[in-house]
Amino acid sequence: MIYLDNAATTGKKPPEVISAVNRTLNELSYNPGRGGHSPSVKAAEAVYSVRKKVASFFAAKGAERVIFTPSCTYSLNFVVKGIMHRGDHIIISSMEHNAVYRPVETLRKMGAEVDIAEVIFGDSEATVRSFKRLIKKNTRAIVLMHGSNVTGEIFPIEALGEVCNEKGILFVVDGAQSAGLIPIDMKKMHIDYLAVAPHKGMYAPMGTGILIANKDIPFPIIEGGTGSQSALPYLPEEYPERMESGTLNLPGIMGISAGIDFISKKGMDRMYRAEMGLVDRLYSGLKKIPNVQIYSEQPHLYKSLPVLSFNVKGKDSSRVAEYLNNKGIAVRAGLHCAALAHKRLGTVTSGTVRVSPSVFNTVADIDALLSAVKFMK
Amino acid sequence: MKGVFIPTGTVTYAIKGRNVLRENGYNAEIRRITGDLQGVGCGYGVFTNADLETAKRIFRLNGVKYK
Repeated sequence: MIYLDNAATTGKKPPEVISAVNRTLNELSYNPGRGGHSPSVKAAEAVYSVRKKVASFFAAKGAERVIFTPSCTYSLNFVVKGIMHRGDHIIISSMEHNAVYRPVETLRKMGAEVDIAEVIFGDSEATVRSFKRLIKKNTRAIVLMHGSNVTGEIFPIEALGEVCNEKGILFVVDGAQSAGLIPIDMKKMHIDYLAVAPHKGMYAPMGTGILIANKDIPFPIIEGGTGSQSALPYLPEEYPERMESGTLNLPGIMGISAGIDFISKKGMDRMYRAEMGLVDRLYSGLKKIPNVQIYSEQPHLYKSLPVLSFNVKGKDSSRVAEYLNNKGIAVRAGLHCAALAHKRLGTVTSGTVRVSPSVFNTVADIDALLSAVKFMK
Repeated sequence: MKGVFIPTGTVTYAIKGRNVLRENGYNAEIRRITGDLQGVGCGYGVFTNADLETAKRIFRLNGVKYK
């Protein structure tokens, strides 16, 4: 099977990641920070070492601001629902994933004001202006994805971060598709909260998520045991424990660590360029097929991610994906959990066929896909 | 080792606190708070041979929260 749905989760995990998970289950299957005994402290130290590594990878404020979650969706819910007061205003983009769109719609029902800023494809300055026009006195937060999970376009995080910083607005970035592929510097980009899906571009196991909270989260939505201050009827004030009730996914966390090592060893830029080369080949090939409509901009280094959406005219995206599946090629069809983005693209009824290679894909994989699309009846 | 115990509450700050003390040349180890010393329940802290004021100063400088 040729797997080209790596924007959902990277289909092939590096041997280093698999070894790290196995090693943890075999040798470190202890509950971190849940006892005074040596194994528990040893496990907590292992987690702390990964927090440090993650903090350094994203230029976070400190290791203790790195929160491990079950997924990027949890991370986004934690922050979006955790920072808003009744009557606050929040702005999201017209390309956001349901992991942002649905929580803010819930907040709207609870009394928050919500606005959706139009993303202008291929025009970063116009996109920033869209956000600026909507800022009000009670704007508490702006949420923007770093890169689209539908078209692959990279959005102007740094420019919008500056706007938020100047105006004292909390800046939340959904790095689900970009983390591990292109650098994210929280300090330089003025990011207050970064949500990450390590099982995608960082090649970690599924069931892992990261939230880096450089600023506080007044209202944690999950409460429970934290291994400390247990006599109190409320959560500790200290991070990350305040946001990490329940047992941590230690095998997954050690997999994140190995994923970062894998990227560092291979070189993030090298990996990114290799994947972008594949998407560029795909874009050029699809352009030559008359009945294909492409929704992504022409791939451009550091303006897009290795994600491309297209349709075959007159055919539903799910039919195209089914056909390709029968040819041994796995791609994603439908709305990709991003209804807002499809409204913006005008593809709510058809969806799109999404192709997303990883570093393990080859030119031959792309050529096989192009050939299959070309001869589709 | 003779020394002082500084409760940090969480294990994360205990690890961070121990690390910064060691980086500053002191012996330090993580200890579990076994009793309900402060009325808040279980927790962690750092036992060190640094004097209390020095240890607290190093903690403050490095953003280690303590009780």
